[in-house]
Amino acid sequence: MENIIELKDIHVSFEGEVILDHFNLNIKDKEFVTFLGPSGCGKTTTLRTIAGFIQPSQGKVLFEGKDITALPPHKRQVNTVFQRYALFPHYNVYDNIAFGLRISKTDEKEIAERVSEMLKLVNLKGFEKRNVTSLSGGQQQRVAIARALINNPKVLLLDEPLGALDLKLRKGMQTELKRIQRQMGITFIYVTHDQEEALTMSDTVVVMKDGLIQQIGTPEDIYNEPRNPFVADFIGESNIIEGLMLRDLLVKFEGVEFPCVDKGFGENKPVDVVVRPEDIEITEPKEGMLCGTVESVTFKGVHYEMMVRSENYLWKIHSITYKEIGTRVAMEIIPEYIHIMAKEV
Amino acid sequence: MGKLKNKLVAVPYYIWAVVFIVVPLLMIAYSAFTNEDGAFTFQNILQIGIYGNVLLRSLLYALIATVCCLLLGYLLAYCMAQQSERGKNILMILLMLPMWINFVLRTQAMQDILDLIQSWMEAAGISLRISNTGFAIVLGLIYNYLPFMVLPIFTSLEKLDKRVIEAAEDLGANRMQVFRKVILPLTMPGIGSGVIMVFVPTISTFVISEKLGGAKYNLIGNVIQEQFLTVYNPNVGAAISLVMLLIMLFILIIFSFLDDETKEGLL
Repeated sequence: MENIIELKDIHVSFEGEVILDHFNLNIKDKEFVTFLGPSGCGKTTTLRTIAGFIQPSQGKVLFEGKDITALPPHKRQVNTVFQRYALFPHYNVYDNIAFGLRISKTDEKEIAERVSEMLKLVNLKGFEKRNVTSLSGGQQQRVAIARALINNPKVLLLDEPLGALDLKLRKGMQTELKRIQRQMGITFIYVTHDQEEALTMSDTVVVMKDGLIQQIGTPEDIYNEPRNPFVADFIGESNIIEGLMLRDLLVKFEGVEFPCVDKGFGENKPVDVVVRPEDIEITEPKEGMLCGTVESVTFKGVHYEMMVRSENYLWKIHSITYKEIGTRVAMEIIPEYIHIMAKEV
Repeated sequence: MGKLKNKLVAVPYYIWAVVFIVVPLLMIAYSAFTNEDGAFTFQNILQIGIYGNVLLRSLLYALIATVCCLLLGYLLAYCMAQQSERGKNILMILLMLPMWINFVLRTQAMQDILDLIQSWMEAAGISLRISNTGFAIVLGLIYNYLPFMVLPIFTSLEKLDKRVIEAAEDLGANRMQVFRKVILPLTMPGIGSGVIMVFVPTISTFVISEKLGGAKYNLIGNVIQEQFLTVYNPNVGAAISLVMLLIMLFILIIFSFLDDETKEGLL
């Protein structure tokens, strides 16, 4: 696969505050890429740099290998779905969607065909004459997507498009966005702070913090092999504990030795150990096992969330077996579920 | 109960409206259709015909002033809206400052400035007349009523969602297209208020035409004033006022019936 967008050594700052510093990223054609990170991590800035709304003070934006850094937004072959939609309040649904084609002076007959095609794509047939301000959030969202897609962009940029929708609607739209992306066969660049959203839809996730890329990978990579404690903590819930890598395939934490599958860290090296709450099994305590006392139990629907205190650490455990507060339990972790990260220098 | 309370709150306004709006209007209508002895007559209305020229000139001057205010005012409001908060405040004060000075004094000052310019031009051998002309009146109208155009347009520009502009750019619109297809239609309400707030007072002004026109270019406002204060024929004055009111009502109704696209076309 070829790179459709390349960001090279991008530098952006606002009023003296550096947002992106020496930022490099390649985005492959026809991929669903998600920028994921807490607010203020530079993900929206990166998106707006690609759209052309922000001029980097340094660096280059390449589109299909050509430098488009100096190109204004209206000359770029990318389109954006804005946060809270930004629909034209003085136009109805039809005229909103037709906007891009009218700008390019397309024949009205062709516009009519394309608009109805787009309305079908986003499941809004029959809404042509509706006033956009009378639509629900989910419907406005669909109009915004149709409006951005009608220009046949090679890249669609989506800036937290589902942020204003309620949970159920959001889940529905996630699947639908993925479907639209497959159907159109174009690149989607999606910005969100919702890790679940990122894992559900993406081919590639770019985890960002403070204007720096923390990790790039498939959702599975990011979840199972977080590169540092930030990623481990931000993506899903995790227990992160300091440990000692005794030798290859053997790690020690909380005074107990655990066989693991990681190697290459050296001998007697301090490391960070990540264990997902659902990967800990609660059993009867026996000599030599990692033991602790149940401090709290919360019913979460599919499972119970238990906080278990061992010697130096409070473990979060998702388990379908119920244990009463105060019970002494042992925690078993199979080697595949122990993830070792090198200490950050 | 709640509804009753709401109605009670409006009572002072109703009293105000009846005493100062409804009753005077009825009195004007009454005077317009009666002679000095109080007998019913159409004579006053029929007499207006001789002021046809004045009426047309008033309409023309008001129209020119309104169009100039719109062009200048939109530009100014647009520039103001681009400024930082501080810049906006400074420009706003500069715009409002002249309005804190007495209206008659302001107009007299303008006359003096025009006279001064006229004398310089004569000294330089330019024979163009500026002071005491229709041009001077229109200039005075624009000068005095520009803020009434700028304020509502500025407010509607401020309310404009910047992301909607970005969305238009994103969809391929250049700056001119963004303005024509997004900014202009979305500021139409501001333009509408501005046009009404300038057109209505300019068409019935008499101070500006009296001071700046050298009493040579009477406007309908001057005629009405004359009828009431100098000639002392309040019945004719009332008749002219009534006709003016109807003309303005007619224009406003037509304006409000136009849809936004026709209005854009007009601009």
